[in-house]
Amino acid sequence: LREAEEAAPVFQYAGKAAKRKDRVFVWGFSYSGALGVPSFVKPDVGWKKPRRIQATPYRLETEEKISSVACGYGFTLLSSNTTDITKVWGMGLNKDSQLGFQRSIRDRTKGYEYVLEPSPIPLPLEKPQQTRVLQVSCGRAHSLILTDSEGVFTMGNNSYGQCGRKVVEDETYSESHLIHQLKEFDSRVVQVVCGQDHSLFRTKKGAVYACGWGADGQTGLGHYNITSVPTKLRGDIAGVNIIQVSSYGDCCLAVSDEGDVFGWGNSEYLQLASVTETTQVNVPRHLPFKIGKIKEAACGGTGNIVLTEEGNVFVWGYGILGKGPNLIETAVPEMIPPSLFGWSDFNPDIRVAHVRCGLSQFAALTNRGELFVWGKNLRGCLGTGRMEDQYFPWRVTVPGEVVDVACGVDHMVSMVKSF
Amino acid sequence: VRGPRFRRLKIGAGHRLDVKASGVFVLGIGHGNKLLTDLYNCHLTKVYTVGGLFGKATDDFSDTGKLVEKTTFDHITREKLERILAVIQGTNHKALLMHSNIDMKTQEAYELAVKGLIRPMGKSPPIITAIRCLQFALPEFQLEIHCLHETQQYLRKIVHEVGLELKSSAVCTQVRRIRDGVFTLDDALLRTQWNLQSIQNAIWDCQLKVKTELEKTLGHQDESRLHETDAAMAHAADS
Repeated sequence: LREAEEAAPVFQYAGKAAKRKDRVFVWGFSYSGALGVPSFVKPDVGWKKPRRIQATPYRLETEEKISSVACGYGFTLLSSNTTDITKVWGMGLNKDSQLGFQRSIRDRTKGYEYVLEPSPIPLPLEKPQQTRVLQVSCGRAHSLILTDSEGVFTMGNNSYGQCGRKVVEDETYSESHLIHQLKEFDSRVVQVVCGQDHSLFRTKKGAVYACGWGADGQTGLGHYNITSVPTKLRGDIAGVNIIQVSSYGDCCLAVSDEGDVFGWGNSEYLQLASVTETTQVNVPRHLPFKIGKIKEAACGGTGNIVLTEEGNVFVWGYGILGKGPNLIETAVPEMIPPSLFGWSDFNPDIRVAHVRCGLSQFAALTNRGELFVWGKNLRGCLGTGRMEDQYFPWRVTVPGEVVDVACGVDHMVSMVKSF
Repeated sequence: VRGPRFRRLKIGAGHRLDVKASGVFVLGIGHGNKLLTDLYNCHLTKVYTVGGLFGKATDDFSDTGKLVEKTTFDHITREKLERILAVIQGTNHKALLMHSNIDMKTQEAYELAVKGLIRPMGKSPPIITAIRCLQFALPEFQLEIHCLHETQQYLRKIVHEVGLELKSSAVCTQVRRIRDGVFTLDDALLRTQWNLQSIQNAIWDCQLKVKTELEKTLGHQDESRLHETDAAMAHAADS
């Protein structure tokens, strides 16, 4: 018997240099096309049924390695930092050309209103084989694409100037070929963020520019009118080196290099109630929270979340905040116990590494690559496999190590490294 | 002078232990059997050290079985193993919350989850509450597994699956239970200590621990039962 064992052939499944592959997983509401799987909406084989909601993570095949993802209100943008000609793909709603002009195959003069699978977005680049796309961001009906040497490209709805160009009355946004390019900032733009109908730009020097709708003060420029040209913000962040900005609804947060957090915009849900009683704040205000140095912040529709240097997660605002069904609203940040993220005496070095926000959902990534979600489970967007709302952080089972996640209104997309 | 004499002893066993496995094995004597059922209803975790070997796959997942396949394993690092263990822990944690039959929408569920006290209190498939790597020296490795409602064969299957996930194969060389609820290796009696005096001492020592654990988990405990356990010790008159 021993000789038979010795003589058996040895199989090799993976060599020493086996690389870990990068994958994209999507889940949530599929009928808008935002998941990029056309067979969910229009089954290609007779026995398949249309899948309205994908409740658990589903792998999306992409042609290139995707480096940045953004989820808007019913659409998604994927971008790769390659030097090939095609750098950005979009899928989902395209009624305001937020995915650029997608030429219809049936009628060459018309464009698609719904894009069901990741389709390339042609960008008017001067040097298409040298410029790299660094980051993408999506709002309600507009999108921003950040490149390393050619500024920011904006497309989509511009009725409030959120694309950074002058508002044209009665402009039809659907089937529009117009992609605007923004270059005049005090230094290179390093981060772009889309709110619901406004845009924020963060430059290398630490300044923040804004344009778009301002009726809730979300442009932070001291007035409640719309702005169609990106203008620098002042207020409490004048002269402060901002290292991160975040927004998704009508409230905005900015984090400085010293760990302070500043907020402006809508405060109807107590997001800024720690500094003011008014429901709209149109100038950035410093939020004096004594919770430690803040590393990252994320804004949702009605709730906000911050991550401190020690790895603790604090939430405040309104809605399902993640501390059980009894905590519906708070103006002062409350900490979520680390034991809910898997921390225990057995695993004392688990820390939360990133926090992200959707419209009414929160997501947290730990340093072990696990994804925790909580909030309103709108059309299965939490990815837990259940349709009920989740009142405290719950693990999402993803076959791989989650590197980044983008949250939308009713869908989420994550970038995952395989094992 | 005559004292009470017992001619027959009722002995019951706690959680099962395989022929190939070793470790802590809880026995109840006489009236202690009733305590055994109570302890079973507490659903406390058991801790095992499981030894494994990379490179082989057998039909019954242990190293004495029939060989199915041999694979290379030099690409495996401790880091990869720990990543896989983190995933296993994650999915089992989810299963823990789901089988505990508590409504996730209540404040009570949230509080129990924070403290880590959510446990399935009824029947459930085997769940691993914690797993970590103690030793790693290719091709051998050793894991410490805390689990509920498991069988030793399930643990061997876990070793096999870890091997598959790492794109190789593994067999289980050793399964040793080091803790069963409140009873640890220190309380256990060795083969040489299987005599009346040591057994009596062991029962006395464990009494307090068992009592506190039962009270904590089941809420109320009949005091009188414990007194009967002492009285149940006498000559081992089983024929």
